[in-house]
Amino acid sequence: MRAMPAIVQLQGVHKDYPLGNLVVRALRGVDLTFDKGEFTTVAGPSGSGKTTLLNLVGCVDTATRGTVTVDGASTSALKESKLTELRLRKLGFIFQSFNLIGVLNLFQNVEFPLLLQGGLTKGERESRVRDIVDKVGLTEQMKQRPNELSGGQRQRVAIARALVTRPSIVLADEPTANLDSGTGNAIIDLMKHLNETEHTTFIFSTHDSRVMSRASRIVQLVDGKVVDDGHGHRTGAAAVAPLAEA
Amino acid sequence: MGFIDTTRMLVLLAFRNLFSHRVKTAIVGMIMLFGTLLVVMGTALVDSIERAMEQSITASLAGHLQVYSAKGKDQLALFGGGFMGADDIGRIDDFSKVQDALSKVANVEAVVPMGLEGATVTAPGELEGALERLRVAVRANDKAPLATLQAQIKELLQQMKEERKVSLTITTDTKDLNEQIAKLDEGLSDALWARFEEDPLAVLEFLDTQVAPLAEEGRLMYFRYLGTDVDLFVQHFDRFEVVKGERIPPHTRGFMFSERFYERVVKHRIARYMDRVNESLHEEDLTIADDAGLQSLIRRSARQHRYITYQLDAKESAQLTDELKALLPEVQGGLPELLAEFLTVTDENFDARYAWFYAHVAPMLEMYAIDVGDTMTVRSYTKSGFLKALNIKLFGVYRFKGLESSDLASGTNLMDMLTFRELYGLMTDAKKAELSAIKDEVGLKDVAAEDAEAAFFGEGAGEVVARVDAEGFDEFADVKLARTETVAVDRTFTQSEVDHGMALNAAVVLKDRTRIKASMIEVEQALKDAGLDMKVVDWRTASGLVGQFVLLIRAVLYIAIFIIFVVALVIINNSMVMATMERTTEIGTMRAIGAQRRLVLNMFMLETMMLGVLAGAVGAGLGAGLTTWLGAVGLPAPNRQLIFLFGGPRLFPEVGASNLVAGLVVIIVVSLISTLYPAFIATRISPVAAMRTEE
Repeated sequence: MRAMPAIVQLQGVHKDYPLGNLVVRALRGVDLTFDKGEFTTVAGPSGSGKTTLLNLVGCVDTATRGTVTVDGASTSALKESKLTELRLRKLGFIFQSFNLIGVLNLFQNVEFPLLLQGGLTKGERESRVRDIVDKVGLTEQMKQRPNELSGGQRQRVAIARALVTRPSIVLADEPTANLDSGTGNAIIDLMKHLNETEHTTFIFSTHDSRVMSRASRIVQLVDGKVVDDGHGHRTGAAAVAPLAEA
Repeated sequence: MGFIDTTRMLVLLAFRNLFSHRVKTAIVGMIMLFGTLLVVMGTALVDSIERAMEQSITASLAGHLQVYSAKGKDQLALFGGGFMGADDIGRIDDFSKVQDALSKVANVEAVVPMGLEGATVTAPGELEGALERLRVAVRANDKAPLATLQAQIKELLQQMKEERKVSLTITTDTKDLNEQIAKLDEGLSDALWARFEEDPLAVLEFLDTQVAPLAEEGRLMYFRYLGTDVDLFVQHFDRFEVVKGERIPPHTRGFMFSERFYERVVKHRIARYMDRVNESLHEEDLTIADDAGLQSLIRRSARQHRYITYQLDAKESAQLTDELKALLPEVQGGLPELLAEFLTVTDENFDARYAWFYAHVAPMLEMYAIDVGDTMTVRSYTKSGFLKALNIKLFGVYRFKGLESSDLASGTNLMDMLTFRELYGLMTDAKKAELSAIKDEVGLKDVAAEDAEAAFFGEGAGEVVARVDAEGFDEFADVKLARTETVAVDRTFTQSEVDHGMALNAAVVLKDRTRIKASMIEVEQALKDAGLDMKVVDWRTASGLVGQFVLLIRAVLYIAIFIIFVVALVIINNSMVMATMERTTEIGTMRAIGAQRRLVLNMFMLETMMLGVLAGAVGAGLGAGLTTWLGAVGLPAPNRQLIFLFGGPRLFPEVGASNLVAGLVVIIVVSLISTLYPAFIATRISPVAAMRTEE
């Protein structure tokens, strides 16, 4: 059933957060594998642990217990600077609130990760940026600042920024939550298109059933546990229907 | 390549961030700008004051370096450290040795012998002065001033008599007063003055011995003086200028008052009072109406009109009375009442009365207790403690150009080196020869202290012996003859006498003043090579506390700058922390997409540094502009102490490259320090922060 090798593996992953005197158990023994080139969504109600899962995969956080392996590297064994390096080289991020750098224009926002990576000439960077911006359809807006763009356009810039470094995995946390449904659909279409053409692995969270339906695989989380890993493995009383949300 | 591009991106980010947080940038920028302005102007002013003060000190008394004996117990303090003139700085027994040694140092232009001491001079009382002038006229057989002087003396006696009559009404002890009145009556009697025609000296003797003691004593004036080689001094201290009379002629004994001392102490009491009110109103911007001190001064001085009337003869009294009556028609009474009213000045009438005083009253008065050309008796305690008195001619009055009104620079009077030595307690060659002759005559023999016993009781017993003074000075030799002696001044001397003799210290004037430190070492070495055990100090140290004053100003400035920058640091820090908080998502995003902590730190530091450089450059530019403008118009010295520090009535500050560099460096360092904490906080922002949804 699996055509591609695994690029992310989670084994027995727990994540606890202290909250005052309490401990919030965000993930409770998650075992998951994401294959290269997958277009996967992590679904579940609010507080089910979607964002926590993405944070762990995105190397911005580490597990309390269990192992997270990203592109062959176990994240719990890496120092902060190595994790940062891993994010820079292997991962792309798309945020719910777009998170563009307000003082930079479209081109500079997309170019930023390339500058962090280094190693490319100005010309190479420019061609990479133009290429990806062209793919997200914003060539005309190249010089505009984020506040001059619409929400959908901003998210396209974010997608371009995430993809410009040619990462192995792109993580998107509720990428359509701040967009109207039409724009949201267009963004998912774009992501899907890039997944197909660039062969980039996409893992995104959502609780929008329409968005969910576009994914090739749906991982269902409830209360920090995987109730459906999208490969037909259902655990517990997991007759959890995809949540319909507005 | 990557580094340059990243830096360019960071600069762009920093620049745009600064621009997008305009309010924060404006506040922090203004603080930085003001801070830099303060450092540039402050250091430029203090540097200028230091240069000006160096001018004041080096050109007035100190020269660039001062050398004095290493045996002295105290530090040399030319402008007073402890008690003026009382410091023990040792002495240079033979100045020529120092001069010879230092003439070998290439950068030395001149070595000027010096000695600072204090002495007193007594200005004669009014009656004493009038009698002295009468005596001079009689001796010179000069008939012209006799009538005027007699009239003045009679007027004085009359006033003394009137005062005693007033005293009679308020005291029960009338015996003394009546006796005094009887003597004064005799002094006023026509019979006495008829006798004066035949035997003036007898009458003068009566007045001197019987009447003069009833009058007020003369005024004792304490003054500081610098004994020096006047020729060398005038040649190398180029701010010296003669205001009145002439400079002490070459190789001549004599004295010069400083203008300030002459005007402030020697001048007629009422004139000094008028001058002081004038100065308070026009230089210190005080008003009589508001200043209690001035009011008290005016009340006291108005009662002292007798210092005017004492000096007037009957004719002058009448004339002044008429003139005052015309000026003050509303005043009832005689001259005393008119003068009392005249001297009770107000803010409104002062200027007119000041001018009137100098036009109508001053010409009738003897304006200075000691006049140029007079010979005055100077008294000083020698180092061995006995009182020495010398008659010295007052040749003139001098000042240091630009420092006229500085009490510090102008407090010192000038005398020739030989007179100085004598007042110090040394004997002149002539005196030594005289004493030696006396010893020979009476068969005295010098015996060293350690051989005294043998000399007294051993083989030499029977001979008359005298102990040699251990220091080689016979200052005790004639002490038995008189406790006080008045020595007739030898009028002239040779250069060799000046050079081959004692000085307390010596001023070294350098050719190139920028090489003070190096020259100091050369001078020290030269003195050492010549076997002289001397201390060498620069002008700052030599000037005592005054020289340290600029250090004090500098310290105050630095403390002020420090406090301002601590405040600035806190404000910059706070606003940067707030800015960091505002940018949590942005920084989290950068961190999430792969920016290392170092980059975040650099970004913040760069941002502040850019602002620091920008605001600092504007601040430094403004500071330089303002200082240059001040340098063109001059900063007026607000008081007399500052005239000395300013090197004149106005300070003309100059801004140097060092001031600008100091301003910029300080502001950048402060900016960076104040950003360290917020930048550190920024590096601690987790990339997770980027994932949080902004509502």
